[in-house]
Amino acid sequence: MKSRRAWLGLMLLVGALPLAAQKPAFTVGWSVYVGWNPYYYMAKSGIMKKWADKYGITIKVQRFDYAPSLEAFVAKNIEACAMTNMEALDMPAAAGIDTTAIIVGDYSNGNDAVLTRNGVTFKNLPGKKLLLVEKTVSQYLFERGMAMNGMESQIKRVHLVNTSDSDIAAAFIADTSHEAVVTWKPLVSQISKTPGVTNIFNSSQIPGEILDLTVVRTDVLNRPDGSGQKFAKALTGAWYETMGLMSAKGPATDKVLAAIAEGSQDSLPSYKEQLSTTHMLFTPLAALQLATSPEMKQKMTLVKTFCFNHGLLGESTKSMDEVAIRYPDGSVEGKSDRVRLRFEKAYMQAASEGKL
Amino acid sequence: MSVLSISVRPNRMTCWVLSWFLFAAGICLYLYTAQKRHKENPDDRVVPTLAQLGAGIYQAAMNPDADEEPAADSAGQSALERFRNGMLWKDTVASARRFLYGLALLFPAVLLGLHMGIFPYFGVFFLRFILFFDKIIALSVLPILFIAFGIDELSKVMLIVIGVTPTIILDTFNLTKSVPPEQVVKGFTLGARDFDVAYRVVLKQIWPRVLNSIRLNLKPLMLFLFAGEMIASTDGLAYRIALLRRHMGMNIIIPYVLWVALLLFLVDLTMRLLNKRLHPWFREA
Repeated sequence: MKSRRAWLGLMLLVGALPLAAQKPAFTVGWSVYVGWNPYYYMAKSGIMKKWADKYGITIKVQRFDYAPSLEAFVAKNIEACAMTNMEALDMPAAAGIDTTAIIVGDYSNGNDAVLTRNGVTFKNLPGKKLLLVEKTVSQYLFERGMAMNGMESQIKRVHLVNTSDSDIAAAFIADTSHEAVVTWKPLVSQISKTPGVTNIFNSSQIPGEILDLTVVRTDVLNRPDGSGQKFAKALTGAWYETMGLMSAKGPATDKVLAAIAEGSQDSLPSYKEQLSTTHMLFTPLAALQLATSPEMKQKMTLVKTFCFNHGLLGESTKSMDEVAIRYPDGSVEGKSDRVRLRFEKAYMQAASEGKL
Repeated sequence: MSVLSISVRPNRMTCWVLSWFLFAAGICLYLYTAQKRHKENPDDRVVPTLAQLGAGIYQAAMNPDADEEPAADSAGQSALERFRNGMLWKDTVASARRFLYGLALLFPAVLLGLHMGIFPYFGVFFLRFILFFDKIIALSVLPILFIAFGIDELSKVMLIVIGVTPTIILDTFNLTKSVPPEQVVKGFTLGARDFDVAYRVVLKQIWPRVLNSIRLNLKPLMLFLFAGEMIASTDGLAYRIALLRRHMGMNIIIPYVLWVALLLFLVDLTMRLLNKRLHPWFREA
């Protein structure tokens, strides 16, 4: 009796295997960040599975460290990934991987900050050491801060110390001879608690420049069987269902937020504190408005100029136009035959119209 | 089956071909992959082609770091001057300085090991602690190192010290212990004093083996140096690699990796030749 049941189970399993294998499978990679942690919740709560089933596909949600997630995306090991607009430009786009941003999730609104001690300001930073992770949004923020304080010509006189984010907080807090640091939350919160440290500039002063996106490889979206489109739709649907839960009023919201915070071993108060300096685009309409606004182009140009000036688009890239961006209105910044990063509004629009 | 025979002697030509075979295979595999990836995606940066590597090497060797303040007259410089202002040379000098500090600090470690092996009071005092200290994974105490020594040069050198010296101390200690006690006794009967025995009988004998032990530890030394430079620094070979990784600058990373390998090989070779020259009686090297 027992063995017959086992046989039956095995046959069912074998019968189900080819069925499962026929479903197109996709992987979305994310890393710990206040605006991306919802992916953890989407996978855990079954929201992602629900949407994947609706479109007849399989979606795997995989957590990475940030840099490896970008490398996996560039190496085409994963189909979608959460990253900032800057990395979307200087990692996949600059490496020739045509990339499409399907969701504009949020922008940093204070998450990134320039912190100093002893009352140091931008005016007396030149000649001093500055701890930061070089060639990231930290350096972008620092240079924007210098430029906005009329110190653009002095940028190269600040001695940058490339410091890994895993040790930057300890290094700055312990060594009081270092007077300035640029980093992001939750490290910013940690460092701010040190007496005598002031926040002299942060990303809320450059709103909408550091965008957090969900990007998909364009060749995946264009797969002839249409499965890539389904993947993008399912992903967008799951994303905005989760956003709805996060922004709802009522006691249930805290439970959702606590579950999301769990994704980075964080507590609910700490996660809420990080959310307060993140401008989440909870509704597809808000995201759509930002993505299609004229300021968006100006801001992307600022980011691209930074990437180009620092050689992040590749040493062999002679002109900024060689890595072109296509905006939702169809306009292209750069050479039209070298479009590498596309902002696609179709999915956010479908979500806002309830058509997913 | 002569391949599996112990007593065969392959001729010169065979030796030459066989010993270079894996190099050639590796290069061919690389070139094939690079070509294949570039056919798919002409902008591929993961596996650069020879031309891209060449451009990368030229850029690294001849051009200064783009983020640096430009020198006053970079146009009228000779090739040698440009090389000496280039980022490869500057990074090499910065890393070499730290490497030499680390290496120099291994010599006190050798002396400590010797003393521990020969003078019982030293041995009792240090051995237990160093046995414990040896088992500390240096990378795991990095935050403590930063707090204690700051993030400048000192913490990087200390990382090397904590990572490598216990091994050297314990190895020297063991080598000292392995010198036959009869020789020590003989030294005394010939009228030597304590320090004569320590330095002129024991140290002299174990010195070539100690040098070999240091040679074997060059790689851990480099490993700790690189870890330190990757975590916090303003220059150095690993600093550059860490930075370039952020935008997949493999066309410069690969030349850097090969350059480091070459330098390490040369240091190792120098030490081996030096050892042979200084101790012609020593036959293990």
